[in-house]
Amino acid sequence: MKRMLHWPTVWDTLALLLWGLMLLRYWWSGRLAVLLHPDYHWLAIGAGWVLVGMGLWRGVTLFRPSPASANPGAHIALLPRQWSLMVLLAIAVFGLIYVPRPFASEAALARGIADPVALTRSQPQQFARQTPPAERSLIDWIRTLNVYPEPDAYTDQPVNVTGFVIHPPQWDDNYLMVARFVLTCCAADAYPVGLPVALTGDRTEFPPDSWISVQGAMQTETLDGQRRLVIAPQEVLTVPEPQNPYEF
Amino acid sequence: MSQLNQGLTLFLSLLVEATPFLLLGVAFSSLLAVLVDERKLIAYTPKNPVLAAISGSLFGCLFPVCECGNVPVARRLLMQGAPSALAIGFLLAAPTVNPIVFWATWVAFRDQPAMVFWRVGLTILISVTIACVFSVQKDMRPFLQPAIARYLPNPDPKPEPALVGSGSSLLSGGDFLLQSTGTLKLDQPMMATLGATTALPQQSWHDKAQAVLEMMLQEFRELGAVLVFGSAIAATVQVAIPREWILALGQGPITSILAMMLLAWVVSICSTVDSFFALSFSSLFTSGSILAFLVFGPMIDLKNISLLLTTFKGRAVMYLFVLAAQLTFVLTLAVNSYTSW
Repeated sequence: MKRMLHWPTVWDTLALLLWGLMLLRYWWSGRLAVLLHPDYHWLAIGAGWVLVGMGLWRGVTLFRPSPASANPGAHIALLPRQWSLMVLLAIAVFGLIYVPRPFASEAALARGIADPVALTRSQPQQFARQTPPAERSLIDWIRTLNVYPEPDAYTDQPVNVTGFVIHPPQWDDNYLMVARFVLTCCAADAYPVGLPVALTGDRTEFPPDSWISVQGAMQTETLDGQRRLVIAPQEVLTVPEPQNPYEF
Repeated sequence: MSQLNQGLTLFLSLLVEATPFLLLGVAFSSLLAVLVDERKLIAYTPKNPVLAAISGSLFGCLFPVCECGNVPVARRLLMQGAPSALAIGFLLAAPTVNPIVFWATWVAFRDQPAMVFWRVGLTILISVTIACVFSVQKDMRPFLQPAIARYLPNPDPKPEPALVGSGSSLLSGGDFLLQSTGTLKLDQPMMATLGATTALPQQSWHDKAQAVLEMMLQEFRELGAVLVFGSAIAATVQVAIPREWILALGQGPITSILAMMLLAWVVSICSTVDSFFALSFSSLFTSGSILAFLVFGPMIDLKNISLLLTTFKGRAVMYLFVLAAQLTFVLTLAVNSYTSW
C-alpha cells in the first residue's frame, strides 16, 4: 500500500520549525534588542532552539512506519486543533517577514512625554550610584531629577546625551526634545523619557525620529508655562540609530 | 502607520518574551502528568481541612502547571480520594504559586519586586479561604459531574476493604470482579481499586519521553494560540484606545480593579505569561488593579470555566467564581486604599 503523507504531522512540524526560526531570526538579524531587554535575550534564543528541536522530532515521525499517536488522555481541547495550528503558522510566517521597529516620537507624544509631571513611572527601590553630570545618560538625568526636581540645582552642569528627536507641537520652533524609551523587560513596558533642548536656530534642521547627540550645559527656562531644566547646546550632531535604541 | 508599527512591535515583543515561559510551563506540566503518581503524594498530606487547604495551595511548587494544566491534576487528586480542601486549594493556587510564575512575574516587574510577593500572598490567602469554605461540604459528590463523582469515596466512616477475602464481607452489595487473587469490588474508590489491581504495564523510558513530547506539543499548540490572541488584545488596547479613556478608567481605585478583573476574565491568558500582559498596563493602572488581574485571572477565566465544567457542576463553578471575585476585589481594594504601594 502506498504510504500517505500524514498532514496533521506536517502542519505540526511546520508550525514548530517556523516559530523556532522566527525567534532565532530576530537574534541573527539583531532585532531582538528592539523587542526585549538584553538580560532576557538568552531566554528567547533558547526557546527558539527548543522549538526547532521539537519540530525536528515531530518531523522524524513522518518517516516512521506509523506516526506516533500516544495520547496521555487528560487533555481537553479548547480550540479546534486546526484553528490553533493555523493561528500559530500565520503568526510565524508574519513574524518571519515583518521587521519590528523601535517606538518613535509619535508613540512618545501619545504617552504624554511633553508633560513634565509624569517624569517616570519607575519607583526606584535601590540607591543608584552618583554619576558625574557629563556621563549621565538621559535616564540617569531623569532619575536624578526625580529625586531632586529643582532645575536651578543643575544650572551650568555639563550634559552629553544621545536620543531621538521629538517636536512637541505646543513648543516654540526653536525647542525640541531629545528622548529615549526605557525598558525594564520588553517593549510592552517601554516608557519615554526626554529633556528639552533650546536650539539657536529652527528645529526643522533635525526632523522627528532622527537621532542626535547633544553636548552643552544645563539651564532653567520657562517652557509651556512651567519652569524646566533645558539643555543649552554647544554642539548638536546627527548620529546613526544605535544598535540598541533603548535605555535601561 | 506609526501606530500600526507600534502595535506590531508591542505584539511581537509580548510573544517573544512569553514564549520561553510558556514552553517551560507546558514542559513541566507534561512531565508531571506522565511521570508523577499523585496517589503517593496524597498519602502524605494532612487530613485536617485547614492544613490540607494550605498544603494544597502550596502543591503548585511541586506541580508548576498553569490554569489549563491544573484542572486535570485537581480532578485526578479528587478521584484518588484527596480531601476536597486539598484539591480546591490546589486548583485555585497552583497556577500562581509555583516557581515558573514566580520567576516570570519577577522578570516582568523588576521595578516593583513587591508585586511578586503581593501576588503570591493574596493568592494563597484567597485559595486557603475558599478551600476551607468548601471543606465544610463533607461529601463533594453533589458538586461534581456524575462521571467524576462515581469514583469518589463515600465519606461514610465505615471503610470497606477493596479485596474481599473472607466470606462475611461478601454480604455487602455492589459490583464485583472475580480474579484469581480474590474478589475485587468495582465501586470502590479509584485509588483502592487501582491499588488492588496488578501493576499497570511498565512503559519504557523511550515511550515516556515520546508521551511527554506529544503532550507538550498538544499544549503548546493550544496555549500558543491563546497567547497570540491575548497579545493581540493587549497591543490593540494600548495603541487603539485613546490614552485619556484608559487613564480615566485606570486611575480610579474601584473602576481600575473592576476593569482589570474583567480583562483578566476575558483574555484568559496563561498564568505563566500573564505578568507580561499586565506589565503593558502597569504605567496606566493602579497597582491594586494590576494585582487583581494577576490574582484573579489564573483562578477563574473564560477559558478555564469550560475546563472546570468538565469536573464540577455549574453551581460549584459559580460558587468558586463568586467567592474568588469578591475576595480579590475586596483585598486589592484594600491594597489600593491602605498601602502607598
